[in-house]
Amino acid sequence: MDIKLTDDQAQLQEIASKFMDKHCSFDFVRKMEKESDLGFCRDMWRQFAEMGWLGIMVPEKHDGMGMSLLDTVVLIRELGRHICPSPFLFTSVLAADVIAQVGSPEQQAELLPQIVAGEKIYAFAYQEYSRFFRPEHIKLEAKKSGDKYVLNGSKLFVEFADGADTLLVAARTGEANSQDGLTLLLVDRNSAGISTKHMPTMSRDRHYQVDFSNVEVPGSALLGELDKGWEALEPSLHKAVIAFCAYTNGAGFEMHGYATQYARERVQFGRPIGQMQTIQGYLAQMIMELYGADMLTMFSAFQIDKGRHARGYVAKAKAFSADTVGHVMDVSSQIFGGMGYMEEQDTTLYLRRGKQYQLALGGTEYWEDVIAEEIIDREPVVLT
Amino acid sequence: MDFDWSPEEIAFREEVREFIRTEMTDAVKGSIFIDTPARVEFVTKMARRGWLGMGFPEQYGGSPNPFPLAQFILNAELDRSGAPIIGKNVGTIASTIYHVASEEMKMEFLPMIFRNEGQWAITYTEPNAGTDLGSLQCRAIDMGDHFEVTGMKHYITSAHFCRWHWMALRTDPDAPKHKGISIFIVDHDTPGLSLSPMSTIGREGTTHRTNQVFFDKMKIPRSRLVGEVNKGFYYMMEALDYERFAILSFASRVRRYTKIVNWYKNADFNGERPINDPYTRRALARMAARVEVGTMLERMAICKAQYEVPAVEAAMNKAWGATIGDEFAQLALDLMGPFGGLWGGEHSPFGGGLADEHLMAGHARVAAGGVDTSKAIIARRLLGLPNALGKPELPQR
Repeated sequence: MDIKLTDDQAQLQEIASKFMDKHCSFDFVRKMEKESDLGFCRDMWRQFAEMGWLGIMVPEKHDGMGMSLLDTVVLIRELGRHICPSPFLFTSVLAADVIAQVGSPEQQAELLPQIVAGEKIYAFAYQEYSRFFRPEHIKLEAKKSGDKYVLNGSKLFVEFADGADTLLVAARTGEANSQDGLTLLLVDRNSAGISTKHMPTMSRDRHYQVDFSNVEVPGSALLGELDKGWEALEPSLHKAVIAFCAYTNGAGFEMHGYATQYARERVQFGRPIGQMQTIQGYLAQMIMELYGADMLTMFSAFQIDKGRHARGYVAKAKAFSADTVGHVMDVSSQIFGGMGYMEEQDTTLYLRRGKQYQLALGGTEYWEDVIAEEIIDREPVVLT
Repeated sequence: MDFDWSPEEIAFREEVREFIRTEMTDAVKGSIFIDTPARVEFVTKMARRGWLGMGFPEQYGGSPNPFPLAQFILNAELDRSGAPIIGKNVGTIASTIYHVASEEMKMEFLPMIFRNEGQWAITYTEPNAGTDLGSLQCRAIDMGDHFEVTGMKHYITSAHFCRWHWMALRTDPDAPKHKGISIFIVDHDTPGLSLSPMSTIGREGTTHRTNQVFFDKMKIPRSRLVGEVNKGFYYMMEALDYERFAILSFASRVRRYTKIVNWYKNADFNGERPINDPYTRRALARMAARVEVGTMLERMAICKAQYEVPAVEAAMNKAWGATIGDEFAQLALDLMGPFGGLWGGEHSPFGGGLADEHLMAGHARVAAGGVDTSKAIIARRLLGLPNALGKPELPQR
């Protein structure tokens, strides 16, 4: 057992870190928040493609790098450190993986190289009007009509829906209120009958409501089997969730670093505030949580890469990483005192994201329900 | 990065589990201390397999380390099964003797420790020196060929069955407080040494004895001074890094948590099943994630231990482990309504054992360098924050 990064991983981390330092400054993030139509930068996306990152998980036979989820975790943690806005998670992790796992040979041959080349961006249209993240709660209807599907309903929190080329839609084709009866469809973003509404968030990112009104999509849009959408999606979703945890852990580490630096330098009562045991206690507690979240995330990625049943680990990693990033962004901001809440203060970029990250991709309650299913309804997980 | 145990590690763990299945009796279970004849015998059997001296040179009675994580795997399995662990005798005392003591002292004591001959008490704490060990006052006056001691210590856990004390005493009252302490090995039968029992809280039959130890003109031969005079504080602090790691395996907490979940799975209060209650389910789930984080921090510490002393990781392990132990004892009782307060009897979950756990969870938070002390270590050594506790920085060995 060894938790040191491999040489390849260390190199990937270093390259990513240097790239982010150079290209993803606070000014860049603010610009993406306020001035960009898309909320991300197409030039940067092209550079991601040039470095091969967009195909990190895509099999080599489809032009990708064929690397593991653990490798991807190492990369995306660096993006998270710089809170880099990009459709990487849903394009290069979720969509790429689900296409690689359940797509037809024709779909794989056509779509995966497009992802690798940076030609197609995907958005994930899953969440509806529900507090939870359960597939049972999906109502958007896809009705088969001849060789086509007709979609009606609404999706919420679809990130980068306006900049995307393709929507990965989870639609109901069968039994209601069930994990069964869902179907995955790859829907052209420009199909007639699709309209979007921006959903303003604390992090000033680009989440959208996407309304589907009699949207017709061809039969070739079907990804995987009819009515087996959740079975197809869940394993890939777990990978995306773990990658997202790595992203938020990276953001948490970075924010914690800023707060620690400030605690060393800020003098009150004639001494650095970092000499006070209360401040030390906050910072020590948070770094423990961050290490724990990071280890649990990497451990889950490792289990997934080995092809093992990892649903319980994924749920624990998500629940804990989510609570950690929320806690770290809040308490770290408080260490800055009043300055931590000034618009001009760069750490507020992290503060505004903390709670939102915590609640994304299923809030903690949802994942706690999953943990309960894994440890209570099955035999208790034997930890080794 | 590889989170899997190697085949040799798995094989060794199986060997340990087989040993425990064969040798573990009810009389052995229930304490990490080697404080009853049955527990002494159990540990002696481990000693015969060479498990106490793993990683120490054979000339001192040690045995080759099969691989770096062997000692950890051994302790985790012992802890998981509720057996006495390879604790302070090896982790604190033998390690320090090996690093700093004279050749004569190494030859005299290390083989005995590795054979489990004679138990030890760590005799540090005084009424005015608990967390702040550097403030201890009990004097050892240099009389040339011996030191003379008059004074007292308290909370000395193993003193009533020990053969030796690993004792910290003040040898220079005029030096800065951290630079006037020395470590001695003191024979328990030394004239002038006497005990008075103290009892931890607990139900009848479950309490632990600890002790006050009094010294009246007790003489310690100069040959029993460990390492150099006035370096004792540094020896103690270095040993604590090992001890936090070696003694506090997280495995027992996983075992206890699993027991609690299983209890709730089967609980039925006149038809009301806690396991169908969403709050109960989520609270147990939330705790599962926090317990898992404990196993992760422990993994981090043991991986680091393959290369260097995992001082910071050990402090995290300690702080998180004790915090989680407290949290889930609280939670387990909170979810039981009034039954959580029972200390035995028909309706008492685990026969009062959970209430005991709650009462002693706070003790785990303060023992062996407490949670807040551990956080101060993390703040100083990992985060580079200024020293809040007034302790000197340790010399790098």
